[in-house]
Parts: sequence; C-alpha cells; structure tokens
Amino acid sequence: MKVKEYNIVIAGVGGQGVLTAANILGWAALHAGYKVRMGEVHGMSQRFGSVVSYVRFGEEVYGSMVPEGKGDVILGFEPVEALRYINHLRQGGMVVVNTKPIVPVQVSMGKARYPEIDEIKKIVEEDFKAKWIGFNAEELAIKAGHVVTTNTVLIGALTQIPEFPLDAEHVREVIRLSVPPKAVDINMKAFDLGIEAAKEILGL
Amino acid sequence: MAKVTDMVLWDKPGEKVLLLGNQAIARGALEANIAVYAAYPGTPSSELTDTMAIVAKKAGVYMEYSTNEKVAFETALAAAWSGLRAMTAMKHVGLNVAADTFLSSVGMGVEGGFVIMVADDPSMWSSQNEQDTRVYGKFANVPVLEPSSPHEAKEMTEYAFELSEKFKHFVILRTTTRTSHARGDVVLGELPEEIKQGKRKFGKFNKDPNRFVDVPANARKFHPIILEKIEKIREEFNNMPFNWIEGDESAKVGIIAPGLAYAYVKEALHWLGVENVKVLKLGTPFPVPYGLLEKFMDGLEKVLIVEELEPVVEEQVKTWAYDRGLRIPIHGKDLVPRVYEMTTRRAVTAIAKFLGIDVPLDYGELDAKYNKALEIVPPRPPSLCPACPHRNSFYAIKKATRARGIYPSDIGCYTLGLLPPLNAVDTTVAMGGSIGIAHGLEIAQHGSMSEEQRKKEKKIIVATIGDSTFYHTGLPALANAIYNRSNILIVVLDNLVTAMTGDQPNPSTGQTPHGMGKRIPIEDVAKAMGADFVEVVDPYDTKKTYEVMKKALEVEGVSVVVSRQVCALYKIGQMRRRGEKWPIYYVDEDACTGCKVCINAYGCPAIYWDEERKQARIEPSMCWGCGGCAQICPFGAFKPVEEGEE
Repeated sequence: MKVKEYNIVIAGVGGQGVLTAANILGWAALHAGYKVRMGEVHGMSQRFGSVVSYVRFGEEVYGSMVPEGKGDVILGFEPVEALRYINHLRQGGMVVVNTKPIVPVQVSMGKARYPEIDEIKKIVEEDFKAKWIGFNAEELAIKAGHVVTTNTVLIGALTQIPEFPLDAEHVREVIRLSVPPKAVDINMKAFDLGIEAAKEILGL
Repeated sequence: MAKVTDMVLWDKPGEKVLLLGNQAIARGALEANIAVYAAYPGTPSSELTDTMAIVAKKAGVYMEYSTNEKVAFETALAAAWSGLRAMTAMKHVGLNVAADTFLSSVGMGVEGGFVIMVADDPSMWSSQNEQDTRVYGKFANVPVLEPSSPHEAKEMTEYAFELSEKFKHFVILRTTTRTSHARGDVVLGELPEEIKQGKRKFGKFNKDPNRFVDVPANARKFHPIILEKIEKIREEFNNMPFNWIEGDESAKVGIIAPGLAYAYVKEALHWLGVENVKVLKLGTPFPVPYGLLEKFMDGLEKVLIVEELEPVVEEQVKTWAYDRGLRIPIHGKDLVPRVYEMTTRRAVTAIAKFLGIDVPLDYGELDAKYNKALEIVPPRPPSLCPACPHRNSFYAIKKATRARGIYPSDIGCYTLGLLPPLNAVDTTVAMGGSIGIAHGLEIAQHGSMSEEQRKKEKKIIVATIGDSTFYHTGLPALANAIYNRSNILIVVLDNLVTAMTGDQPNPSTGQTPHGMGKRIPIEDVAKAMGADFVEVVDPYDTKKTYEVMKKALEVEGVSVVVSRQVCALYKIGQMRRRGEKWPIYYVDEDACTGCKVCINAYGCPAIYWDEERKQARIEPSMCWGCGGCAQICPFGAFKPVEEGEE
C-alpha cells in the first residue's frame, strides 16, 4: 500500500553524512515509485554546525522542507541535534537516534551545558509523545568495521520502525550500489547491526 | 544510483532521476544546447557551476570559473552577442557585483539566448543579506522566471533560452535556496546532437558600434526599446507553459502563488482541506501577464498573494487593479511575512486567516513545547574545521597583535574566525571589502595624529581575505591602499581553493576544470603592485607564522603576508578517496595541566574538555592531524599517535 505522504527529518552535525543518508532514502523512495522532495543544507552551515536534511515522499508532496508538526520520524545522528528539530515531529512520531554526543566547542569552553541523554529522552517522550529509539550507533559502526558507517547503522534501524513505508532490503540495495565497492561489506554489516539494535529496542 | 554528473549527461529521454534543483538547471541548459557557461561560485548557486564544470568538456560546452560575477557576466554576454546560447550563474549578492555591466548592457540585447541564473537566499542560510532578485528584474526591465520544483527548473531553463532568443533580451532564472538545494524527481528530455557528440560551437560577432557601444547618443535609444520589449514579453507570458489557472472555476476567492510559493500553497490547501479556491500559478513574477490576471480575477471577491520576500507581484497586481477600477480586497504582505523564507506553516497561517478558518495545528502549543526543549539545547554554530589552516593564521595574528588590533575580514570560511575563542573578525561586509575597510579604518583611526601620538596610540589593523576573494574584488582595493599609502597588514589566507562554496579552483590554484590554466601567485601580485612588505608563510608552522606577522607589523605601509596551506577539508577528502592515512594526536594525561589554552584560545572542534579529569581530550574521529595543538600547548601535552587513521 502506497503512503500519501511520509516525512523524515535527518538531523546531525556537518560532516556526519546526513546528506548521504538522505540521498539513499530519497533514491529508495524514487525506486519504490514515489514522488520525492528533499531539502538540504549546503555551504557555510555544513562546517561542523548543526545540519538538517528533509526527505519527503508519497503521492502528494510539494515543498522540500518537512513542515513543523508533520514529521513522521526524526533520524538523529547526534542527540541534541535530534532535539533541535523536534518541532518538526508530529504527535506520536518516532525519534531514532545515535546517543553518542558530539560536544560543541561552546560547551568545552564552559559557555553552554550539554544535557544528559535522559533529559532529552524525557522531553521527546513526555512533551512530544514520541517513541524514543536511542542507541550508540557509533559503537556499532566501529564494530562493523569503520566509524563512517554510523549513518548506515542508523538507516538500518530506521527501516525497522512500525509502518516504515520502504522495504528494508530495497534500502539495503541502494546502499550497496552507492558506496565504494571496497566499503560494501562493512556497510552491509553496519546495516544489519542497525536492524538488530532497533528490533531489540522495539521488542520485535 | 548512478553518479549525478553521469545522469546530467544521460542520453535517456523519459528516464526519471533524482536531481538537485541546480543539477536540474544544468541538465536544462544542456537540453537547450548551451555553448558557453561562465560563473563565480556562490551558495546557493554553486552546484550548477560545479555540474557544468564536470560535464562541459564531454558536452562540448565552454565553461569557466571566472574571477568574479561581473567578468563571468561579460564572458557569457559576449558569447550571446556572438549568436551562441550562453549562461551565467551567481548568488543574489553576486548580481550586485555584475550589476554595472548588467544594467548598462541590457538595452543592447543579445543574439543567442542569454540566461542569468540568480539564486536568492531567503533567511540567509549562508549569505550576508536577504535581497530579492525579482526587484532587479523589475529595475532592469528583464523578465524573471521562477520554478516551483526541480523538474520545472529544468524545463524552465530550456524555455528561458528560447524566450531570450525570441525577444533578443536577457532572461533571469531566479531560484531560492529551497529550489536550488531541493532534490526531486526530474524526467530527462532529449539532448541535442551537438551536445551528445560533444562538439564545441562557434559564434560570430557582427560588429555594430551603434548597438554595442553605450555612448550617450546610442544609450538614449536603448531605454524605450527595453520598455517595448518588456511589454511584449508581458503579452507572451499570458500563454507561457509555466503560468496557469487551476482550481474551482466558480470560486469567489483566489490565491496568486509565484515560483516556489506555489508548492507551499498547494501543500497548505491540501492540509487545510480547502477546495473552493482558484489558484493562479505564476512562473513569471515579473512581468505579471495582465491577460491571464484578467481571466483569473473574473468573478473573484478577494485575493491573496503568497510570495516570499518583497511584494513584487503584489505591487504589480494592485497597480493593475487600481488602473482597471477593480475594487476588491487584495491581500499580500499584510498576511505573509516580508522577511525570511516561506514555509508551509507561513502559507497555512496566511491562507487560514485569509479564509477565516482554523489552522490545522495548535502552533501556540507547539511553540511552547519547543521553546522548553530548546532551553537545554546548546548552540552549535558552524566552525572552522579541524586542521583548518585559518585557525592557525588567526591564532598567530591575535598573538602578534596581542589581541589589541582591529580585524576587518571578508566573505569565506574564515568569516567563522568571528566565533569564540578566536574572535578575530571585527567587520565583514562584502566580497573584497576587508582591504577597503581596513584602509578606511586606518584613515579614520589615525587621521591627523602626529608621528609621536601615532607611535603611542596606533591601532594595529589587520585585514584577512581568502585567495579566491582576493582575486574576486580584493585587487582594486589593494591597489588603492598601496597607492594611497595606507598602513595596514593584509593577511591573504590562501588555502588554494574556493573552500566555502565547495572547493572550486581559482587563480591561486591555477587549475581549471579542463586541466592547468596559468597559476598567479598572490605574492607576485602584491610585489608587482608595490606592497612594502611581502612574505609567504605556512600557517601549520605557527611559530614562524607568528614571527613573520610580528615583522610585518613593524613595517610602515602596506604589508601582505600570504598564509598558504591547502584547505584541510579538501585535503582530507582527497586522502580518504585515495585510502591514505594521516597522523592523529592524543593528549598525554601526565603532561596536560588543564590550563585550557587549547580550548579557550585555539578552539579546534576535535578538542573537548573531560569534565571528570579536568583535562583536554581529542576526539580521534575528528582529528585531521595538523599538529597545531601540539605547537600551541605550553606543556607539550599533545602528541601524535603512531598509527594513523584511514
């Protein structure tokens, strides 16, 4: 069954591979026959700043940005970045998030505080009535073979959430085709580790 | 998932691919059989230029990275005069640089189609201001086309060339960040034979001094011709394929949605579940076609214009309505904000208010919850990358001036030197502005001070400017400062690439998209111009850099220090691709005293504070191995790890 509209917000820090992940999901959606719109951040904002990318697909999508309160899922590459875009999530949405923080320089300088993961989780669950699927994706990526596969781990986890409209094997195929040949194996492993992590949390 | 650049050249008509708006425009230009393309990169327009750079040779298109927008404009314009289809692209502020040529040459018209792609940046995601290029279109009497989706951007580009040729007039293709940087499904069209064969096209310039020399006697004839053309184009737009009326024909209310605003209006109407509305989808915000407007307004009792930024369409519609004696409410900027970018929320809110219905979401509640969440979210502004040579340059400048200088800077990555802990940027205005501002500050700060007073109260002024920016508009300012005997230090942060917009080459790189051009070393230019002190340093050697800065500051006159080291982001990208390793550093826990110099004065994003141990630490996945930390640490606590990272 085709969805009318599905909205993914991908949030992270410049350099984490947010754009690559968005592209993979966009292509998977295009191959699945959907109309696709994606919005992304280029230029200055990418230099280790906060980065957000939107992936929207369905029968009726127009703009490239996910409207506030309309996101089905936030895919967070970094915990506070997931929270920074939480206004885009709909009531009862999902937050799939890598719990490994990247501490901003302002925090190291003592000019700002980095919150506890539980504080973030509490806001997501209580105020936004969203489901929190948090785990250390970076650790799993290293286990798969390289830290740069963190985004693949997260995409793997994303495919397991209830009512996710793209087929996991389909998404896997797009990853296989889009990474350099020598990186295929570790990406496939990273994808599987992401799937397992989500299944465990969701009790599947 | 093929490579994007392959897709842009695919000879597969009918194939559906996912393209960035800018890439779709590149494909549109190829489908239109473009011959010459010249541009200076500027976010959000850069990917159009980069895509052209990669496909040009194969497609037989001449392509260049020009040194600034004005010369890019002139390159393309002359090709269009010679009967070729030509295009230039820039960001909104780039058109200010090209404006002199643009406004002076518009009356001369063109022979081959000439398309000026201008990417606006509402909300200023990576820009110094928020200007609406449609106003320039109106100012110059040049038609503006504005796409509402990536696919339409491709189609419209092709049409723009045809339109330009038909009327021998310039055409602006205006996008905003959310069109240029939106990805969407694009259906490929036919490529012309010449593009498929990669055959370079040649033009012929027919001399006509009465047309191409804008002495007053000639120029006087141009203005009425321009006005005549724009009225004919207004007529043409009544029937162009990107303007149409849709929705309930018997509706009493109407919405006019130009360009990308159409996407938001469609989305909003859908979400609101409203059907009895007539929509005028406008691909041409200037000039607004009166015939179509007349048809649209027929029977309407009120109208809303949803447009981003300036009330360009609103003013045209209201003027038209007044002249026609039409007295119905026409809403626009009273309901739609005039600043920052359009969003679905803004469209929904404006339309709901216009129709007197409820918004589908309690935004008040959402905002309250969100603001509460934001309270615990620390800021994360963009920063200079790990191993960025600019950080070391700024560190040396601050040290050499004992942080007591005035630091005018320029447009580029290094503007981020503004942020703590470096705080080494006091002014940034526009491309090339750092040197002019530095000179002006010198005059203002020291004025008629006596020698003695000057020695005591002298304000040290250090301008920073990047390599590409130096060649863009820094050159005339440097000549001016030297000629007028300024007393300033100019540090050219030469990372050998136009880094912020995506690593494009420039004269300091010497590279062109088609191989080596001729490299122009910045120090040679400074010397030839007569600078009083010129030296080149490697900012990775912080001690030497500091010493040279000190020496330069002692010189009376204009000193130029070229701080040269390749962009770290660019270098690491290349190394990753080649599978090479680089050294990474770690903190020796026995040596670190927790003095925080590395954090409070240097500020590399790979260095963080271990709150428990009260010591600095390096995040290995972020260390790019420049060794700057090892040089600035007073206790030698940063040490390289033997084993490198991939």
